[in-house]
Amino acid sequence: MNGEKPGIDRRHLLKGSLALGLASFLTPRGLSANDSSTATLPFERGRRPLIAFPQKRPLMVMTTRPPQLETPFHIFNEDIFTPNDAFFVRWHLANIPQTIDVNTFRLTIRGRVNQTLSLSLQELQTQFDQVEIAAVCQCAGNSRGFFQPRVPGGQWGNGAMGNANWKGIRLRDLLHRAGIETDAVQVRFDGLDQPVAQATPDFRKSLSLEDALHEEVLVAHSMNGEALPMLNGFPLRLVVPGWYATYWVKMLADIEVLNQADQNFWTTRAYRLPADPCHCMKPGEDLTDTVPIGKMPVRSFITNMEDGRSIPGGAPYTIKGIAFDQGYGIDRVLFSVDGGQQWQSARLGKDFGDFSFRLWEAPFTPEPGKTYSLQSLAINRIGESQRFSARWNPSGYLRNVVETVKIHAT
Amino acid sequence: MIRVWIFLLLLIGATDFAWGLPADGGSREQVSILHLPSDPISFQPGPGSDLANRYCLICHSAEYVYMQPPHSREQWMEIVNKMQTTFGCPISDEDMAPLSDYLVTQNSLQPSPSAPPVQSDEQKKEIAGRSPNHSGDPLKGESLYKRHCLTCHGPGGKGDGPIGQALIPPAANLTLLGKQSDKTVLETLRNGRPGTAMPSWKNDLNALELNHLLSFLRTLTP
Repeated sequence: MNGEKPGIDRRHLLKGSLALGLASFLTPRGLSANDSSTATLPFERGRRPLIAFPQKRPLMVMTTRPPQLETPFHIFNEDIFTPNDAFFVRWHLANIPQTIDVNTFRLTIRGRVNQTLSLSLQELQTQFDQVEIAAVCQCAGNSRGFFQPRVPGGQWGNGAMGNANWKGIRLRDLLHRAGIETDAVQVRFDGLDQPVAQATPDFRKSLSLEDALHEEVLVAHSMNGEALPMLNGFPLRLVVPGWYATYWVKMLADIEVLNQADQNFWTTRAYRLPADPCHCMKPGEDLTDTVPIGKMPVRSFITNMEDGRSIPGGAPYTIKGIAFDQGYGIDRVLFSVDGGQQWQSARLGKDFGDFSFRLWEAPFTPEPGKTYSLQSLAINRIGESQRFSARWNPSGYLRNVVETVKIHAT
Repeated sequence: MIRVWIFLLLLIGATDFAWGLPADGGSREQVSILHLPSDPISFQPGPGSDLANRYCLICHSAEYVYMQPPHSREQWMEIVNKMQTTFGCPISDEDMAPLSDYLVTQNSLQPSPSAPPVQSDEQKKEIAGRSPNHSGDPLKGESLYKRHCLTCHGPGGKGDGPIGQALIPPAANLTLLGKQSDKTVLETLRNGRPGTAMPSWKNDLNALELNHLLSFLRTLTP
């Protein structure tokens, strides 16, 4: 990428850049055995240290290498757009570039195209339409820790998701500039991250040509008005609104148009669901037919009440939350205080687009001494709703059951 | 006791994200640098922990194990098998069962980031009798090397150990360390090398042991 070596003199760099007044610099944070701030997710081995990684505020560290960081859930109550420094992080491979030279970086579009393109960041910003879209990025394994029985994999709570305003270039504009050959069927995306062991398959994902040509699919360079954080894919990442984040390839550097179905491991063997329409099965059953994971089912959350909390009774509250789906848009959110026996309509907040979080709120006056099971149920514009019973599959994907927040009024 | 976690990111010559439109001529210094922390926890000592350290830590930190819900031995065996066959972990067939046995023993633990390893009284005495710039004992360093480093860096330190050549980048050739200062080598030993499989040893080796190791490494340089 460039000539910088790991042994580069950090002090020199720091001094030089501060002199220019241009450095974005994070205070180093210490963590010792005596000084660990932690958060605990409500399942076994759910303790997570809160540590600030580069360009991030302290987040829940699931793993350090490669980094997997979860957004503490209260963040979702603070803003409909998840701040960049609080946005979750998930890498598959630990060989993440330590440096990106923005002058020499090139995005390549190659394969079954009329003309291979190699585009600088400046060319991408000046020669193509710049478009913006609000969209939820949710890890395929979000909420995996709640599966019962538990399943192997990243043990996320509900914070492996975020909503941002993504800005960049339409993928289809790039593909059309290169010229798609008539026999093209898929488009494969590769980032700069690499495996540590030679035999580990490099992380790459593919979309069908049809999906890749959807107008909302972007090669994004910015997020909430700023450059992507390094850990969220600087300088470019694929944004596939409505689809799980596994397709949102980070540090995107290579786009390859294929004339046959991609056979790479991450597409053919990882991120698979049971093929039946429910994408679920009984624990212990054999998984035979599978299909790749794709778009996100409708979900909603209460964001301003934590499970197990006690609140003073007799006073009026406004319960707040978020809802989202794969891009049909949220039609309505229902709210219940009695575990789903009776429902009232929640009031929807401003519409930031079909792929965004949608805020909702509902009034609630608890009676002193009573215990409540608060639930929200989102329904999208084609009538799909959340599930009332949790689906189970062996990889812990697609959770969208109606979640329950139990509270007690004093 | 100080764990130095330097998390800093410098956007040199770039304000918010000025990479888009560098001024005429453009700065040749627009580079973003990412410094990631080293592993905060180690595998807990016990029968088989050497296998977990040798194999699992090549690609990921120990938290990958300690965040898992308790798995049965069969499940761990399945996971270890997947690491070997699917993800290309260079684990030998005979090590798979003992590694799975070890992972089962870790099922109920969730260790916290640990303090650096404690020095024994004997080691403290040894340190007390030396000046701050003492050199370590290359013979003690050699036995540490054989235990911790050989599988990657090879018997002669050329990076040709059974695992070393399977890595991207391959394990470093330690016979070429001559130009690196003691300070640099010790820092690499303590903190690992980001972007490579070289882990941090500060949770496993104390200062004295690191010095022994350094002394041994110096004997590898022609």
